[in-house]
Parts: sequence; C-alpha cells; structure tokens
Amino acid sequence: MSVVSARGVGKVFGRGEDQVEALRGIDLTIEPGEFISLIGPSGCGKSTLLRLIGDLTTPTSGELLINGKQPATARTDRDYGIVFQKATLLDWRTVQKNVELPLEIMGVEDRTGATRMLDLVQLGDFAGLYPWQLSGGMQQRVAIARALTFNPSLLLMDEPFGALDEMTREQMQQEVLRIWTETGTTVVFVTHSIPEAVFLSTRVVVLSPRPGRISGLIEVGLGHPRDEDTRESADYYDKVTEVREALRHQENGG
Amino acid sequence: MADQRFVDAFSPGPRYRVKSWLPPIIAFLAVIAVWETAIRVFDVQAFVLPAPSVIVSRFFETSDVIWSAGLATLLEALGGLVLGTSLAVLVATMTVRWIPVREGLMPFAIAANSVPIIALAPIANGMFSITSPVPKMVVVGVVVFFPVMINTARGLLEVDPDELELMRSYAATQGEVMWKIRVPHALPFFFSALKVVSVLSIVFAIVAEYFGGPQDVLGQYILTKANLFVYPDAWAGILVASILGIALYGVVLVMERLVMPWHVSFRAADAS
Repeated sequence: MSVVSARGVGKVFGRGEDQVEALRGIDLTIEPGEFISLIGPSGCGKSTLLRLIGDLTTPTSGELLINGKQPATARTDRDYGIVFQKATLLDWRTVQKNVELPLEIMGVEDRTGATRMLDLVQLGDFAGLYPWQLSGGMQQRVAIARALTFNPSLLLMDEPFGALDEMTREQMQQEVLRIWTETGTTVVFVTHSIPEAVFLSTRVVVLSPRPGRISGLIEVGLGHPRDEDTRESADYYDKVTEVREALRHQENGG
Repeated sequence: MADQRFVDAFSPGPRYRVKSWLPPIIAFLAVIAVWETAIRVFDVQAFVLPAPSVIVSRFFETSDVIWSAGLATLLEALGGLVLGTSLAVLVATMTVRWIPVREGLMPFAIAANSVPIIALAPIANGMFSITSPVPKMVVVGVVVFFPVMINTARGLLEVDPDELELMRSYAATQGEVMWKIRVPHALPFFFSALKVVSVLSIVFAIVAEYFGGPQDVLGQYILTKANLFVYPDAWAGILVASILGIALYGVVLVMERLVMPWHVSFRAADAS
C-alpha cells in the first residue's frame, strides 16, 4: 500500500475576494521506503502539501490517503512524525524529556525508544542537558529523534535545515540519510535547495507557483550509500542541472 | 563536540555574585548614614523625621507588640494572596479553554480593575464579620486578582504555533496541551505578577486596617501611634511592614527559581 496517495488534491485559502489557490490538481503517490523532496520557489505550496499530508490543514478538493486512511485518522493513529524549520524543543524539558514527549502523550510506559533514538542521532551523552545549551544543529537532531521515537511509518520534514549554516547543513544531510537507511522510514522533505533535494532523495517533486502544482517528477537514481564523493560525481551534477532546468523551465512557461 | 556554551552556562562564578550584591548594600548604608547625620546636624524634630538609630531602638524595644501585629497583618495579606491568586488562575484558565468565557468576562475584568479598590474596604467590613481578618483578605484578594489573571491568561495564550501543531501531530488532548505547553509558558508571566502583588498585598492589608476592625494589627498600630504623636513607634511599625513585604517578595523569588529553574532569567548572566 502506498504511504501517500493524492488524487486531484487542491487547497484554497480564504473565501470570496481574498481567496488564494495554494494547490491545484496534485497527483502524487509515495511508496514505502522512498525519500521524496518537495522543491519549488516560495509560494509554490510545498509546505502546504506537507501540512495536508500531516492533517495540519485539510484539502478543499480531491482525495488524499495516508497509508490508505483519511489524513485525520492517520494522524490520530500516529502514523507520522514531523520536524519543522525551528527545532521547537520545550525549554523546560531536558533533551531526554523532550524526546520522550510523544511517548508520554501516547501513554507508552517503555521509554527505551527515546534513548535509542538519541543514540541514533549521536546525542546520547547530552540527554541531561537543556535545549538552549545545544547548538542549532544539535537541537535539530533532537527534534529528529523526537519525531522518530514512536516508530512512525512516515517522517515529514519542513525545511528542517533552513536555519543552519552550510557546513552543519551538509553534516545533517548525511545524518538524515543514515537515519533513513537505518530506520526504513518513508521521508517527505520540503526544501528550496536544489543540491540538498538531489543529494537526499530517491525522487524530487518539482512544484511551480500560482497556483501550486506539480511541474516535474525527477528520479534521482544515484544509488546508496551516498557520501562526500557523491557530491562531486558527474551523475550528481547532471541531476542538479536537471532539477535546476525543471525549475527554470516553469518560470519561462508560466 | 562540546560547545563553549556548556561551560559558560554552569559557571556563574562567585565573583559575579559578590559584585551584584555589593552596590545595593553600599547604597543602603550610605543613605542611612546621610539620614542619621542630617537629623543630628540640623536637629530635626522627631515628628518630622526620627533618626534611624531612634527607629531601630524602638523597633527592638517594642518588638513583642509590633511583631504580633505584623503577624496578624501578614495573615490577612497571605489569605488575600491565596484567595485572589487561586481565583485569578481559575478564571485565566477558563478564558483560555473557552473563548466565549474570554469574550464575556474580559470587559468586566477590565471594568473591575478601574474600581478604586480601597473604597471597598469599609463596605467589606460590613459584608463580613468586622472582627475577623476576612474583610481585609477580601480587599487584598480583589487587588491581587486582576494583575495575576491578566498576566496568567496572556502567558497561557502566548504559545509558539509550531508547538501547538506538534501537539496536534501527536493527537494530544486539550488537557495535555494545557499542562505540557500552556502552563509552562504561563509560569514566567504568573511569577512576574505574583512578585508585584506579593508586596501590594501587605500594603493593601495595612490600608484596609485603617478602616477599622481588630486592633492588634500593623495598620491600627501605626495609626494609633501617629495619632498619639509617638512617631518613632509608628516608624518602627512601618519598618516591620517593609520587612514583611521584602520577605514575601523573597519567598516568591525562591518559589520562582524552584518551579522554573530552566528559565532564561536564571541562566548565567555572563554566558553568551
């Protein structure tokens, strides 16, 4: 069964004169284990699409199924974990307690999942510290650990590295790929960075704005594992160029 | 990779603490010295302003009476604090959970705040048994209610939308959002208000006492001594009131630190 299945999904904000069409006719199927990037200029609705998948907002048209269920059901079934651009850690909780938050809410007594995820993001030694004692990259790794503690089948990431410097960003990309390989979680990743999308993804979904719609689907096919050498390979450059041209093409066409 | 900030955050350093305490102590001693000297040099009469040394000696000579009066006043202030604060927190929570409550109550809360509360003191004496501390507690409670309610409600509402979406993604209940997100956000606001009203509670308890009631209280003591022109004794009573106010403020500070040690205001001042 597909993790995400969208048929003609549209989203309109507001009503009457102030109406804004954020997304129109989105058809997209995401299979288990894929790493999908949503890329496009600002205003293309990539974050809106992510939020529709997470049932943080509802579609105004079309059909959207997550693991074969309505998004609201998938959300209450805790099918996905989410990471925002800001780490959104709670200041009054230690790193350990932050990662345990979803388990607490879900009534899971066994907290070993939290410890395991902290080890997975290599922050096991920092469990007792408070979020504000960590660097931005470390905070975001805590947020990733928190999103994965309850073993969701889907990980939603909304420009998670947008606020990080370039060096940290590349480290984090490597980290996310490692986590994706180790957990087998399906990932939907929103970004506006072309190299990031290509380096991470199995497929890149190119969106164009006003109204947001899918203007290209690019199979990356670079193989795994990917590392620093991947970033310097000719195939990688070709794919970056392909995505860049897909994005440029929509400007001319639209 | 250990960040420099880990080190800084845990080393406020003893030098820092001494430095922050020293200036106020020096300033305090200087004011007392100038005051004492001025009274002696210009031969100021006691009914205008007694010398600090005279006030302090009366403070110790009458300590039995003034501290028993002080304790009675403190009880009224504490009763009013507990009454006003609990009611304020209850109403604040309701205004956040149910928007109609907020829209229905806020105009009245604002209107109530413009009432000259001290004018209620003689009326409160009539409403409740004048010989009991209850009318004073009611006056203090009304004073305390408004700032605590408004600040707590604001803190409960001032939450990062991402945190609410995160809770939504976990399918958290309204109660869990309240306890795990809103209440911790409201704590700094609550304690700011509590610091202000803790001092006000002593002030308003004393003012309420001026309008009659039991005699063994600070307000009556100061009033009686002033009417008898025994000014150093009246000043000794005021000194007790100040000590109580500062003590109450100190207690709130300690509570704040215990309840929210994570808060930004308690991180080392020299860490950056």
